[in-house]
Amino acid sequence: MTRSRGLSLLLVTPALVVVLALFVYPLGYSLISAFADKSGAWTLDNFDKAFELYTRDVVFTFIIIAVSTTLIGAFSVAIGGYLTLGENRTAIAVLAWLYRWPLFVPFIVAAQCMRTFLAKNGLMNNSFVSLGLLDIESTQSFLDWRGIIITFVWKQLPFVTLMVAGAMAALDRGTIDAARNLGASRLRILVEIVVPQVRGTLLVGLILSFVTMMSVLSVPIMVSGGSPTMLTVDMAYRINAFGDYGVANALGFISYLMTGLAAWVYLRQGVRERSAQ
Amino acid sequence: MIANAAITWLPRAIVLGLLAFAIFGPLANLVLWSLAEAWFFPNKLPSQWGFRYWEQVFRPTGRAMESLWVSIWIALLTVATCLAVSVPAGYALARGRLPWRALIMLAFLLPQAFPSLPIYINVARVFYEFGLNGTVAGVVLVHTVHGLVYAVWISTAAFAAVDRELEEAARNMGASGLRTFFSVTLPLALPGIVASAIFVFLESLDEFTGSYFVGAPEVTTLPLLMFTASMGGNYQISSITALILLVPSIVFMLLVERFLKADVLAKVGT
Amino acid sequence: MRTLMRSTAMIATGLAAGLLLVQPAAAQRTINVMTAGDQNMVDYVTDFLGPLFEKDNPGIKVRAVGTGPGDAGSQKIWERLDAQKKANTAQWDVDVAVVHQKMAGQMVGEGLLDAYRTKVSTGGLVTRDTAKNALGTNVDGYVIPMFHSQTAIAYNPALVANPPKSYDELVQWVNTNPKKFGYNGIKGGMSGVAFVFGWIYANAPNAQQLMEGPYDAKTKDAWGPALAKLKDFNQKVVITPGNAGTLDMLNRGEINMGPVWVDMFYTWQAEGRLPPTMRLQILSPGLPGQPMYYVIPAKAANMDAARKFVEFATSPKIQAEGIVKRFNWYPGIDAQHVQSHLDKAVWEKLFKDVSPQDLSSKGKPMPISQYFTEILEAYERVAAN
Repeated sequence: MTRSRGLSLLLVTPALVVVLALFVYPLGYSLISAFADKSGAWTLDNFDKAFELYTRDVVFTFIIIAVSTTLIGAFSVAIGGYLTLGENRTAIAVLAWLYRWPLFVPFIVAAQCMRTFLAKNGLMNNSFVSLGLLDIESTQSFLDWRGIIITFVWKQLPFVTLMVAGAMAALDRGTIDAARNLGASRLRILVEIVVPQVRGTLLVGLILSFVTMMSVLSVPIMVSGGSPTMLTVDMAYRINAFGDYGVANALGFISYLMTGLAAWVYLRQGVRERSAQ
Repeated sequence: MIANAAITWLPRAIVLGLLAFAIFGPLANLVLWSLAEAWFFPNKLPSQWGFRYWEQVFRPTGRAMESLWVSIWIALLTVATCLAVSVPAGYALARGRLPWRALIMLAFLLPQAFPSLPIYINVARVFYEFGLNGTVAGVVLVHTVHGLVYAVWISTAAFAAVDRELEEAARNMGASGLRTFFSVTLPLALPGIVASAIFVFLESLDEFTGSYFVGAPEVTTLPLLMFTASMGGNYQISSITALILLVPSIVFMLLVERFLKADVLAKVGT
Repeated sequence: MRTLMRSTAMIATGLAAGLLLVQPAAAQRTINVMTAGDQNMVDYVTDFLGPLFEKDNPGIKVRAVGTGPGDAGSQKIWERLDAQKKANTAQWDVDVAVVHQKMAGQMVGEGLLDAYRTKVSTGGLVTRDTAKNALGTNVDGYVIPMFHSQTAIAYNPALVANPPKSYDELVQWVNTNPKKFGYNGIKGGMSGVAFVFGWIYANAPNAQQLMEGPYDAKTKDAWGPALAKLKDFNQKVVITPGNAGTLDMLNRGEINMGPVWVDMFYTWQAEGRLPPTMRLQILSPGLPGQPMYYVIPAKAANMDAARKFVEFATSPKIQAEGIVKRFNWYPGIDAQHVQSHLDKAVWEKLFKDVSPQDLSSKGKPMPISQYFTEILEAYERVAAN
């Protein structure tokens, strides 16, 4: 129908306007604000202050996200692999039903769950104590950066697994069956045959998770009490307690840099794939 | 024979059991806290059970009911706004000939490539100047741009999945472009579009960060209420509101599996 | 088809509910009370003060909005007033605000407030210094304290037989009992902030100058050793999410000691959220307390109603019944006006663990605002980094 370019452009304009006004413009604003002082002159003072006060948090944000992403990648390949290569149908059915549950739990609800689950006398530790695996004095509270990692992995794993398992299921079974006939172990098949073929999907899932986790405020603020914590908490603190947009945006810029490489890969991949459609 | 089966099943059972504990444990915790009237250390389970906090949450004058209505209202407005802009955009991206196509696609991919919190902070600041901060309209706008990410791509995929031959058959029978769209293309793409509406509704209902900066303190959505209750140490109220938030999510999870066909799902986010 | 009908029904309900919410309160006057602080501050207005005032003044409705704990909550109120001032709005939409000291000083300095104290009948009931001086800024005439509060260390006597009595003793106790003391750092609540100030008073020179001024930019150079010690201390304690977080962890036995607001402590005990066996103690040389202030914005839309509201809230009867009896705060107006309205037992309850002598010798003010900001920033730079 839309052979005319003008009409196509018209149809796309409202959505474009929304994205430009409510995303690209604030993005530009944020970049400028990071490099400007109160009078508008260019300065690196905001970054000075940001590193002076929050170096530890910058490092920890990166560690938390990197570890979470790695764990999500590993577990999703493991679950997807079992669903594709597993031989026991009951186990596969149970696993398929089980792993999806956290998918639709919003981050803030997950944070609330974990806040009482991972506490020193929370449900997890209490269960271990009841089973005799731990004694009550040696229980640890996981409500720090480790709790943030656990919450992120818990919440994002089903999303990535869904994509990876779907991609694995769409693979041509021919190569897999051939390898089985040659006597290769399932682990070997997973690593050498299946994973290379679903690498694209896995990468996209991990990048999306990476960016998502960098944006979350509810989880670090509710699960972890204090330092070290994620940059999102520091940004919110800067704004709420001091109205300090300069330093908050400087921290924002640092988080853009962290996702920068991932974002570039994603954008390049995304544009290439969609042009091909 | 049975012993043999039991032995081979043991490692599987343990792993599946641990997984089930890891997945359902935190959720069960929510249910426990919603029914706990008193829970002191060192008790492993609440010492007093009851529905007292449910009454507190559900009383008509309570803040929770008001927050629920505000959240639903905002979510509905967001879906309406989002669909209004994303359906035409999706159609144009799937079918039309667009100049600067790559650049336009880049624009729609951008919100997924950057952490959104710094964006929300600055949006809030801009909204202050327009008097949109702390209003329902402001929150709807923020939720819309967040939801566009899903809406545009799902609707593009939905339109792309419609068989061109059916459209051309209609044209050949003399139907106008508009008529073809409404009687052939749109109904076929509808399941995908409804799925995107559901995604957007859910994302809006559960959205916290944007509402925190743009809406608080006048507009209190249910996630914000949950957050305040939790930070105030009131775990019963926050657990109950968390369960309220979960209900639409679980309901729609079952619905989505019906609507989303494999080919549409495969194209999402890839 | 059915889904379509269902969605239409949902949309219709949503529209109706939305219209009800979006419409301003018709016919009646509504005064908007914005209050910083924890949830108990909002509850005070919605559950106690509001209904009583509405009963006495039919035709006026009270709407309370909470902006959150700590100075961040006060900051939000300031932002709102500042935005409306810059936009030259004729009538501002906040009628009464309850803010912390630091922000009150800033608001007076920027001309955002109405000098109402002489215009209400209860203005003369408060003679304390805190009504005139907010962390070094002269606020005379612009504020009436809503209450005075004090921080103290809460502890579980069953698990802590011999609680430390001073900051130095606390450091030694924490060395032998790691991770059993918790406070919320400087984010999420003022109890942690108060603890840090008390630490600086105890470990850095010139405590009196920090509390009274004059401000000298070189003072902070002497804070190095005290902050290094605090950083070391932080490794052995738990950092909680906020005021309520500390109380909650005390309740769940995850920590055995922590700084709390005395009023929140008693309120939680009364509500069954904290075991009745817990006790309080102020560390020497002292821990800060603070008042929170009733202020009226300079261009409040409902100025008369706002003044009436503050007059009502600071009347001796309401201070006795609400502030002291129900919510366990120390009164905002002078004690002698309030004491006569309460029976002895209720009054004594306020001083169960923290006697008037303790209060006068170990209850300190917060530092003056320049030092206030500098200590917090130094904390972030040294102790938390």
